[in-house]
Amino acid sequence: MTTTSNEDVLTSFSVPSEPGNERIALARVADAVAARGLSPDRLERLKTAVAEATMNAIEHGNHNHAELDVDITVAALDDGVAVSIVDRGGAHAPAPDTTVELPNLDMKLAGLQTPRGWGLFLIQNMVDAMDVSIDGDLHTVRLVMHTAPAPRPRDPEGGPRAEQM
Amino acid sequence: MQSKCETAVRRLPSCVVIEIRGEVDGSAAAVLSAAYDGAVAMDAPSCVLLDFARVDYINSTGIALIVSVLAKARAEGRQVIASGLSDHYRQIFAITRLSDFIQLYDDVESAAAGVGAAG
Repeated sequence: MTTTSNEDVLTSFSVPSEPGNERIALARVADAVAARGLSPDRLERLKTAVAEATMNAIEHGNHNHAELDVDITVAALDDGVAVSIVDRGGAHAPAPDTTVELPNLDMKLAGLQTPRGWGLFLIQNMVDAMDVSIDGDLHTVRLVMHTAPAPRPRDPEGGPRAEQM
Repeated sequence: MQSKCETAVRRLPSCVVIEIRGEVDGSAAAVLSAAYDGAVAMDAPSCVLLDFARVDYINSTGIALIVSVLAKARAEGRQVIASGLSDHYRQIFAITRLSDFIQLYDDVESAAAGVGAAG
C-alpha cells in the first residue's frame, strides 16, 4: 500500500484507548522499522516518541475510552520512517500552532509547575520532525525519523505546538 | 493499571539505595513513593541512590515521578543520585535537566564510592 509517491506503508494497526497500550504500539513500530537502517540510538528515540504520542492519544485524544481506537501507520521514507498516530480528539484539540508552556525543571522543583508535562517536550526532542494536523474529529501526530541525523532548526522559543501532555 | 514496578531498599555506608525494577510509568507512583518513604525512614540518610539498572522502561509520567521524588528529597535536605541508566535514559535525563540535579553513575558501586569520597 502506498500513501504518497514517497511513502510505502510498512504496517498499520490500532490499539484500544487503554493505559499501557502504548507499549504495544512501540513494540509493533519497532518491529516494522527493524530493517530500515536506524541506529540503535535513533530507534530508541523513535520508540520513546511513539510511546509518548500514543499515550497522549489515549489519554488526551480519546480520554481513555477503550471503545475508541488509536490508529497507527508506519511508512517508509526514502531516508527514514514516518509514524502517524491518530485519535478522535480533533474536535476539542488546540490548534496545531498553539504554544504551550515548556516544562521547566527549576519551576517544577519549586512547586510552581506540575511535575508532569514532559510528553510533548520529549517527543520533540526525540524525533527529527513532528507535525500535528486536525481533520474534523481526527487528530494526527506524524513523527519523522531519518536514517541519519540531520540538522534540526529549532524554534528560538523552543515552544511546543500542540497540547500539553 | 497494575504496576510493573518493584523496589527494594538497602543501606550502604554512604547512602540508601532504592533498587527499581521493571517499568517506571504512572502506575509506579505508589510503589516509588512507598520506597522513598521507607528509605528515608531507615536511617534519615543524607543521600538517596536510585538504581535503574533493572529498569527497562521510563515514560514521561515516570519522569514526573522522579521529579516528585527529587523535589521531596531536596525539601528535606537530601541529595539524590542515580545509577544504572542506559545511554538512552541518560540522554533523557540530560534533555529534561534531571542530570543537573541528580549525579549519574554507571553502577551502585561507583555511586557509593563517589558519595563516600565526596562526603
